[in-house]
Amino acid sequence: MRTRTTDTYETSRREVMKSLALGALVAGSSGAALTGTLASSARAAEPAPIKMAFIQFQPHTVSSAWAKGIQDVLSIQPKFGFQLLDGQAKADIQISLMDTVINDGVNVIFVQPVDSVGIGPSIKKAARKGIPVITLNIDSTAKHAAHIEMNHYFGAMEIANAMGTMIGGKGKVAILNAPPGIIIRDQRTNGFVDGMKKYHPDVQIVADQVADWDRKKAQDVLSTILTAHPDLGGVYGVNDSMALGAMDVAKSKGIKLVIFGNDGEKDALEAIEAGDLAGTQYTDVFQQGRFAAAVATVLATGGVQASAFAEQGHLLMPYVIATKETVGTIQTYQRW
Amino acid sequence: MKSVARIPNKELAIFFIVTVAIFCSLSPSFRTGENFENILVGFSHMGVLAVGQAFPILLGGIDLSVGSIVALAGMVGFDGFLIFGLPGAIVIPVMLATSVVAGIFNGVLITGARLQPFVATLATMAVYRGVTYAISGRQLFPELATRSIDDDLLLGLDNYVGHFPYAFFLLLIVAGLSQLLLAATRFGRDVYAVGGNREAARLAGIPIGRTTAICYAISGFCAGLAALILVSRMTTSQENLGIGIELSAIAAAIVGGASLQGGTGNAIGPVIGAFLLGVILIGLNLVGITTYAQPVLTGLILLGAVYYDRVLLGRRRLRLGKSQ
Repeated sequence: MRTRTTDTYETSRREVMKSLALGALVAGSSGAALTGTLASSARAAEPAPIKMAFIQFQPHTVSSAWAKGIQDVLSIQPKFGFQLLDGQAKADIQISLMDTVINDGVNVIFVQPVDSVGIGPSIKKAARKGIPVITLNIDSTAKHAAHIEMNHYFGAMEIANAMGTMIGGKGKVAILNAPPGIIIRDQRTNGFVDGMKKYHPDVQIVADQVADWDRKKAQDVLSTILTAHPDLGGVYGVNDSMALGAMDVAKSKGIKLVIFGNDGEKDALEAIEAGDLAGTQYTDVFQQGRFAAAVATVLATGGVQASAFAEQGHLLMPYVIATKETVGTIQTYQRW
Repeated sequence: MKSVARIPNKELAIFFIVTVAIFCSLSPSFRTGENFENILVGFSHMGVLAVGQAFPILLGGIDLSVGSIVALAGMVGFDGFLIFGLPGAIVIPVMLATSVVAGIFNGVLITGARLQPFVATLATMAVYRGVTYAISGRQLFPELATRSIDDDLLLGLDNYVGHFPYAFFLLLIVAGLSQLLLAATRFGRDVYAVGGNREAARLAGIPIGRTTAICYAISGFCAGLAALILVSRMTTSQENLGIGIELSAIAAAIVGGASLQGGTGNAIGPVIGAFLLGVILIGLNLVGITTYAQPVLTGLILLGAVYYDRVLLGRRRLRLGKSQ
């Protein structure tokens, strides 16, 4: 496993270097003399017979782990080609990239939509061309082949349950939230709020503030919340980055806070082992990517049209609420 | 030498054509009619924004708030269509009016309150985005976030004549009218005069305040048009629509020959600049360049375009200077 990771890293680094060299030529060229060189270096990369593309929301630890999981499956057979594209967190760019890969004749599209409705027309366009679309984490309102997501809502309920128990069933807690407008933000927040109501009705959620998914921003926001509520007992970061930001504040102020994140990235798991973070919802994101790739290979090699299914496929990923007691069950190779 | 500033930049056009030719030779998928259709439909709104952005830049100013105006106009449309169930004939003019008012407010802050354009529009960028969140129908009625807009008039914008999307014709009209405004009217001359030398323009009796307000209103109006194009394609709107789009629009305008110092540029260059951004993005993806290398390459190609444009422009100016 270890060598394979290094290999992948090496390959991707070489890819970047190669691309940079190629691009420098494009940038610097002002005549036809270079075109020959360029064409030959492009020919070196033989197009694969079955092409798949993943249009991510924007580069992030989660989407790169998905991409790795997808490649784990696809790389076993040389007939699969894979390309990773950057949606730049912009709905219009993502739509444009969807159109591009459809035109490029890919056989399967993986997408983590920036907007559930906005991606709809592009998904319908893909469907007309018989290209199956598989969404990751963020669903689309347009019907497509399959949707594979983390268990945002129920996982967040479990987080509320665990946090409530750790702070003794009563007290004040705060939420460090993502900016509005994304479904998973609402699912992860609503799950937590509903979970507290259900399991620990005496716990009060005194603050719910936006910290932009960001560790640094979370530090500032939590410091402000602590000024207003010095007796705060717990903090829930809607993703791990924000929970780690809360952990930084607790450490530097020397206060004891029960902090939970959500996602389960490597840094968070290490912080749990060190006793700095109380817990997180862990999903094996590599596995999520592998599931998506497995669905994709079946659809593509069988020539199955997405429209052949009466219902859209839907897979909720299993999860572990990782705390000091359970974090040991997550193996090194499962950490992303 | 005003006429030099008015003709579309030949150097940039050549660079653009060479770039397109290189991508065409590298990727069979790039040289298809459908791909050019994708580029036209995917970047026409960027062209409209870049033309709008050219007006403040010609004045020596800048409009950082256009991304937020796109979101604001988009959200006004979202609310109008989905909450109030109004028809496009009412909602579309309201969206455009909102964006013009937002633009005029920028102009008033700059001329009335004497704020630096950068500061004023940085502030309104936050304000308009905040208002967008506040009026967001997606927050007030969460179930609407998963409903699509199905107004006939609005969705009619997302149609084609052959390979050419309506949005592209809208861009041609906007760019054509803007160029006419700049090159053939008194207002246009005033814009170049204010951008070239503000103090001299004042002494010459040019109404600086009014000229500035109109320029920012045009920029706002173009943001409203861009919002229309985007909403018609997406059949919805978002609070975070157009985040960062102002930088692309500014880049397109500058690549298109508008000088940040003001007084130099036209309304045609920004259109080429916008499509250059599109060609690069789609071309790099079709050639198979990895995502991580793309921003670097985009930056390099843009630098190349500006350098090429400026070097040739500089040389020509030198020649003209000598011949006089």
